[in-house]
Amino acid sequence: MKKARVSKAQQILAEADPSLLDLVDHVLNKGVFIEGEVILGLANVDLVYLRLSALLCAADRLAKP
Amino acid sequence: MSLYLYALVGRPVRRPLGRGLGGEALRLIEVARLLVVAGRIENAPRVTPTALRRHDATVRRLAGRTDAVLPIRFGTVVGDRLALARALAPRAAGLREALALVAGHEQMTLRVYGEAVTTSDESATESAGAGQRYLERRLRARRAPEVDPVRRALRGLVSAERIERHERPPLLASVYHLVRRGDSKRYLAAVAAASARLAGVRVSPSGPWPAYAFAPDAVA
Repeated sequence: MKKARVSKAQQILAEADPSLLDLVDHVLNKGVFIEGEVILGLANVDLVYLRLSALLCAADRLAKP
Repeated sequence: MSLYLYALVGRPVRRPLGRGLGGEALRLIEVARLLVVAGRIENAPRVTPTALRRHDATVRRLAGRTDAVLPIRFGTVVGDRLALARALAPRAAGLREALALVAGHEQMTLRVYGEAVTTSDESATESAGAGQRYLERRLRARRAPEVDPVRRALRGLVSAERIERHERPPLLASVYHLVRRGDSKRYLAAVAAASARLAGVRVSPSGPWPAYAFAPDAVA
Protein backbone atom coordinates (compact mmCIF):
# COMPACT_ATOMS: atom_id res chain seq x y z
CA MET A 1 0.00 0.00 0.00
CA LYS A 2 2.81 2.36 0.96
CA LYS A 3 4.63 1.63 -2.28
CA ALA A 4 1.62 2.61 -4.35
CA ARG A 5 1.39 6.00 -2.59
CA VAL A 6 5.02 6.81 -3.25
CA SER A 7 4.63 5.75 -6.83
CA LYS A 8 1.69 8.12 -7.36
CA ALA A 9 3.55 11.01 -5.78
CA GLN A 10 6.56 10.30 -7.96
CA GLN A 11 4.33 10.26 -11.00
CA ILE A 12 3.08 13.77 -10.17
CA LEU A 13 6.58 14.98 -9.37
CA ALA A 14 7.85 13.65 -12.67
CA GLU A 15 5.41 15.89 -14.49
CA ALA A 16 6.04 18.87 -12.25
CA ASP A 17 6.85 22.20 -13.79
CA PRO A 18 6.85 25.66 -12.19
CA SER A 19 3.34 26.46 -13.38
CA LEU A 20 2.03 23.18 -12.00
CA LEU A 21 3.73 23.79 -8.68
CA ASP A 22 2.12 27.24 -8.52
CA LEU A 23 -1.18 25.57 -9.31
CA VAL A 24 -0.71 23.03 -6.52
CA ASP A 25 0.09 25.75 -4.01
CA HIS A 26 -2.92 27.84 -4.99
CA VAL A 27 -5.57 25.21 -5.70
CA LEU A 28 -4.67 22.56 -3.12
CA ASN A 29 -3.09 24.59 -0.35
CA LYS A 30 -5.15 27.80 -0.43
CA GLY A 31 -8.78 28.73 -0.70
CA VAL A 32 -11.69 28.33 1.68
CA PHE A 33 -11.06 25.27 3.83
CA ILE A 34 -14.09 23.54 5.26
CA GLU A 35 -12.62 21.59 8.11
CA GLY A 36 -13.41 17.94 8.24
CA GLU A 37 -15.15 17.89 4.89
CA VAL A 38 -12.24 17.53 2.52
CA ILE A 39 -12.02 14.23 0.70
CA LEU A 40 -8.66 14.03 -0.92
CA GLY A 41 -7.36 11.66 -3.55
CA LEU A 42 -8.01 8.14 -2.38
CA ALA A 43 -10.25 9.32 0.48
CA ASN A 44 -7.14 9.47 2.66
CA VAL A 45 -6.25 12.91 3.96
CA ASP A 46 -2.71 11.97 4.95
CA LEU A 47 -2.03 10.68 1.50
CA VAL A 48 -2.82 13.91 -0.26
CA TYR A 49 -1.05 16.13 2.21
CA LEU A 50 1.95 13.86 1.84
CA ARG A 51 1.83 14.54 -1.89
CA LEU A 52 1.36 18.26 -1.37
CA SER A 53 4.31 18.40 0.96
CA ALA A 54 6.42 16.45 -1.51
CA LEU A 55 5.43 18.80 -4.32
CA LEU A 56 6.25 21.95 -2.38
CA CYS A 57 9.61 20.56 -1.32
CA ALA A 58 10.21 19.72 -4.95
CA ALA A 59 9.35 23.31 -5.88
CA ASP A 60 12.14 24.49 -3.60
CA ARG A 61 14.60 22.19 -5.31
CA LEU A 62 13.42 22.63 -8.88
CA ALA A 63 13.04 26.39 -9.05
CA LYS A 64 16.66 27.48 -8.72
CA PRO A 65 17.34 31.23 -8.59
CA MET B 1 -24.29 11.65 -4.96
CA SER B 2 -22.34 14.36 -3.12
CA LEU B 3 -21.72 18.04 -3.72
CA TYR B 4 -18.28 19.05 -4.93
CA LEU B 5 -17.66 22.68 -4.03
CA TYR B 6 -15.86 25.16 -6.29
CA ALA B 7 -16.33 28.67 -4.96
CA LEU B 8 -18.35 31.14 -2.98
CA VAL B 9 -19.57 33.90 -5.25
CA GLY B 10 -21.07 37.35 -4.88
CA ARG B 11 -24.30 38.68 -6.39
CA PRO B 12 -25.28 39.05 -9.19
CA VAL B 13 -24.21 35.87 -11.00
CA ARG B 14 -24.59 35.65 -14.77
CA ARG B 15 -25.72 32.34 -16.28
CA PRO B 16 -24.95 29.82 -17.61
CA LEU B 17 -22.48 28.57 -15.02
CA GLY B 18 -21.21 25.81 -17.31
CA ARG B 19 -19.77 22.48 -16.23
CA GLY B 20 -17.32 21.35 -13.58
CA LEU B 21 -14.16 19.26 -13.63
CA GLY B 22 -16.03 16.00 -14.17
CA GLY B 23 -18.32 17.47 -16.82
CA GLU B 24 -21.16 17.81 -14.29
CA ALA B 25 -23.58 20.74 -14.53
CA LEU B 26 -22.81 23.48 -12.04
CA ARG B 27 -25.51 24.75 -9.73
CA LEU B 28 -25.90 27.70 -7.42
CA ILE B 29 -26.82 26.87 -3.83
CA GLU B 30 -27.79 29.50 -1.26
CA VAL B 31 -27.03 28.76 2.39
CA ALA B 32 -26.51 31.15 5.30
CA ARG B 33 -26.97 34.11 2.89
CA LEU B 34 -23.98 32.84 0.88
CA LEU B 35 -23.98 31.63 -2.71
CA VAL B 36 -21.95 28.50 -3.39
CA VAL B 37 -21.18 27.01 -6.81
CA ALA B 38 -21.19 23.21 -6.67
CA GLY B 39 -21.57 20.15 -8.87
CA ARG B 40 -23.10 16.76 -8.10
CA ILE B 41 -20.51 13.98 -8.26
CA GLU B 42 -20.32 10.26 -7.51
CA ASN B 43 -16.74 10.19 -6.24
CA ALA B 44 -14.24 12.80 -5.08
CA PRO B 45 -11.67 13.57 -7.78
CA ARG B 46 -8.16 12.26 -7.39
CA VAL B 47 -5.33 14.72 -7.14
CA THR B 48 -3.83 14.81 -10.61
CA PRO B 49 -2.41 17.70 -12.64
CA THR B 50 -5.42 17.43 -14.97
CA ALA B 51 -7.93 17.61 -12.13
CA LEU B 52 -6.14 20.58 -10.54
CA ARG B 53 -6.14 22.43 -13.87
CA ARG B 54 -9.84 21.68 -14.45
CA HIS B 55 -10.73 22.87 -10.96
CA ASP B 56 -8.77 26.08 -11.51
CA ALA B 57 -10.28 26.56 -14.98
CA THR B 58 -13.77 26.20 -13.50
CA VAL B 59 -13.08 28.78 -10.79
CA ARG B 60 -11.57 31.15 -13.39
CA ARG B 61 -14.65 30.80 -15.56
CA LEU B 62 -16.83 31.70 -12.59
CA ALA B 63 -14.79 34.88 -12.18
CA GLY B 64 -16.19 35.89 -15.57
CA ARG B 65 -19.73 35.41 -14.29
CA THR B 66 -19.56 37.52 -11.15
CA ASP B 67 -17.58 40.29 -9.52
CA ALA B 68 -16.56 38.36 -6.39
CA VAL B 69 -15.16 34.82 -6.28
CA LEU B 70 -13.72 33.15 -3.21
CA PRO B 71 -12.26 29.79 -4.32
CA ILE B 72 -12.84 26.71 -2.21
CA ARG B 73 -9.90 24.37 -1.77
CA PHE B 74 -9.56 21.50 -4.23
CA GLY B 75 -11.18 18.27 -3.06
CA THR B 76 -13.91 19.74 -0.86
CA VAL B 77 -16.98 17.52 -0.89
CA VAL B 78 -20.09 17.63 1.30
CA GLY B 79 -22.88 15.08 1.46
CA ASP B 80 -25.77 17.43 0.79
CA ARG B 81 -27.14 20.93 1.18
CA LEU B 82 -27.71 20.44 4.92
CA ALA B 83 -24.08 19.44 5.49
CA LEU B 84 -23.02 22.47 3.46
CA ALA B 85 -25.15 24.76 5.63
CA ARG B 86 -23.68 23.21 8.80
CA ALA B 87 -20.15 23.78 7.52
CA LEU B 88 -20.66 27.38 6.39
CA ALA B 89 -23.12 28.85 8.89
CA PRO B 90 -20.67 29.30 11.78
CA ARG B 91 -18.27 31.17 9.48
CA ALA B 92 -20.78 33.02 7.34
CA ALA B 93 -19.95 36.51 8.59
CA GLY B 94 -16.21 36.05 7.97
CA LEU B 95 -16.87 34.58 4.54
CA ARG B 96 -19.08 37.53 3.58
CA GLU B 97 -16.30 39.90 4.65
CA ALA B 98 -13.80 37.95 2.54
CA LEU B 99 -16.15 38.12 -0.46
CA ALA B 100 -16.37 41.89 -0.03
CA LEU B 101 -12.56 42.08 0.11
CA VAL B 102 -12.01 40.15 -3.14
CA ALA B 103 -14.86 41.80 -5.10
CA GLY B 104 -13.50 43.37 -8.27
CA HIS B 105 -10.04 41.98 -7.57
CA GLU B 106 -7.74 39.16 -8.64
CA GLN B 107 -4.61 37.71 -7.11
CA MET B 108 -0.99 38.05 -8.19
CA THR B 109 1.75 35.93 -6.61
CA LEU B 110 5.45 36.64 -6.16
CA ARG B 111 7.86 33.81 -5.32
CA VAL B 112 11.07 35.07 -3.75
CA TYR B 113 14.21 32.99 -4.38
CA GLY B 114 17.67 33.43 -2.88
CA GLU B 115 20.06 32.22 -0.23
CA ALA B 116 18.83 32.16 3.38
CA VAL B 117 20.54 34.89 5.39
CA THR B 118 20.36 35.40 9.15
CA THR B 119 19.21 38.97 9.61
CA SER B 120 20.60 41.25 12.33
CA ASP B 121 17.09 41.24 13.89
CA GLU B 122 17.25 37.47 14.14
CA SER B 123 20.66 37.31 15.82
CA ALA B 124 19.67 40.13 18.20
CA THR B 125 16.87 38.00 19.61
CA GLU B 126 19.18 35.20 20.76
CA SER B 127 19.35 36.71 24.22
CA ALA B 128 15.63 37.61 24.37
CA GLY B 129 13.08 35.65 26.39
CA ALA B 130 11.01 32.85 24.91
CA GLY B 131 7.92 35.06 24.57
CA GLN B 132 9.78 37.82 22.79
CA ARG B 133 11.46 35.31 20.49
CA TYR B 134 8.08 33.79 19.66
CA LEU B 135 6.51 37.16 18.84
CA GLU B 136 9.51 38.16 16.74
CA ARG B 137 9.32 34.87 14.82
CA ARG B 138 5.62 35.56 14.18
CA LEU B 139 6.50 39.05 12.94
CA ARG B 140 9.31 37.79 10.68
CA ALA B 141 6.92 35.23 9.17
CA ARG B 142 4.83 38.14 7.87
CA ARG B 143 7.69 40.12 6.37
CA ALA B 144 9.78 39.87 3.24
CA PRO B 145 12.38 42.64 3.57
CA GLU B 146 14.38 41.17 0.67
CA VAL B 147 11.74 42.41 -1.76
CA ASP B 148 10.82 45.72 -0.15
CA PRO B 149 11.89 47.67 -3.29
CA VAL B 150 9.36 45.67 -5.32
CA ARG B 151 6.64 45.98 -2.68
CA ARG B 152 7.16 49.77 -2.56
CA ALA B 153 6.87 49.97 -6.37
CA LEU B 154 3.57 48.07 -6.21
CA ARG B 155 2.03 50.16 -3.43
CA GLY B 156 -0.46 51.96 -5.67
CA LEU B 157 -1.65 48.72 -7.28
CA VAL B 158 -2.08 46.47 -4.26
CA SER B 159 -5.30 46.41 -2.21
CA ALA B 160 -4.26 43.64 0.19
CA GLU B 161 -1.15 41.56 0.84
CA ARG B 162 -0.25 38.27 2.49
CA ILE B 163 3.30 37.05 3.03
CA GLU B 164 4.40 33.51 3.83
CA ARG B 165 8.00 32.70 4.60
CA HIS B 166 9.32 29.26 3.68
CA GLU B 167 11.90 27.20 5.48
CA ARG B 168 13.55 25.68 2.46
CA PRO B 169 15.91 27.85 0.43
CA PRO B 170 16.14 28.80 -2.34
CA LEU B 171 12.40 29.52 -2.00
CA LEU B 172 12.45 32.17 0.73
CA ALA B 173 8.93 33.57 0.66
CA SER B 174 5.67 33.82 -1.22
CA VAL B 175 3.96 37.20 -1.43
CA TYR B 176 0.29 37.22 -2.41
CA HIS B 177 -1.24 40.46 -3.64
CA LEU B 178 -4.82 41.41 -4.34
CA VAL B 179 -5.01 43.80 -7.30
CA ARG B 180 -7.95 45.34 -9.12
CA ARG B 181 -9.16 43.29 -12.08
CA GLY B 182 -7.41 44.44 -15.23
CA ASP B 183 -4.30 45.70 -13.40
CA SER B 184 -2.22 42.53 -13.81
CA LYS B 185 -0.21 43.83 -16.79
CA ARG B 186 0.67 47.02 -14.93
CA TYR B 187 1.59 44.87 -11.92
CA LEU B 188 3.91 42.65 -13.98
CA ALA B 189 5.54 45.68 -15.60
CA ALA B 190 6.13 47.28 -12.20
CA VAL B 191 7.65 44.04 -10.87
CA ALA B 192 9.96 43.80 -13.89
CA ALA B 193 11.12 47.39 -13.47
CA ALA B 194 11.66 47.17 -9.71
CA SER B 195 13.38 43.77 -9.85
CA ALA B 196 16.55 45.47 -11.09
CA ARG B 197 16.83 47.10 -7.65
CA LEU B 198 16.93 43.76 -5.81
CA ALA B 199 20.19 42.47 -4.39
CA GLY B 200 20.84 38.76 -3.92
CA VAL B 201 17.28 37.61 -4.53
CA ARG B 202 15.09 36.94 -7.53
CA VAL B 203 11.34 37.28 -7.78
CA SER B 204 9.11 35.22 -10.03
CA PRO B 205 5.62 36.67 -10.54
CA SER B 206 2.57 34.71 -11.64
CA GLY B 207 -1.06 35.55 -12.20
CA PRO B 208 -3.68 36.72 -12.42
CA TRP B 209 -5.20 34.00 -10.22
CA PRO B 210 -8.57 33.81 -8.52
CA ALA B 211 -8.08 35.02 -4.94
CA TYR B 212 -7.02 31.63 -3.53
CA ALA B 213 -4.77 33.11 -0.85
CA PHE B 214 -7.37 35.48 0.58
CA ALA B 215 -9.78 32.95 2.04
CA PRO B 216 -10.63 33.64 5.69
CA ASP B 217 -8.69 30.80 7.28
CA ALA B 218 -5.61 31.88 5.38
CA VAL B 219 -6.08 35.52 6.38
CA ALA B 220 -6.50 34.77 10.09
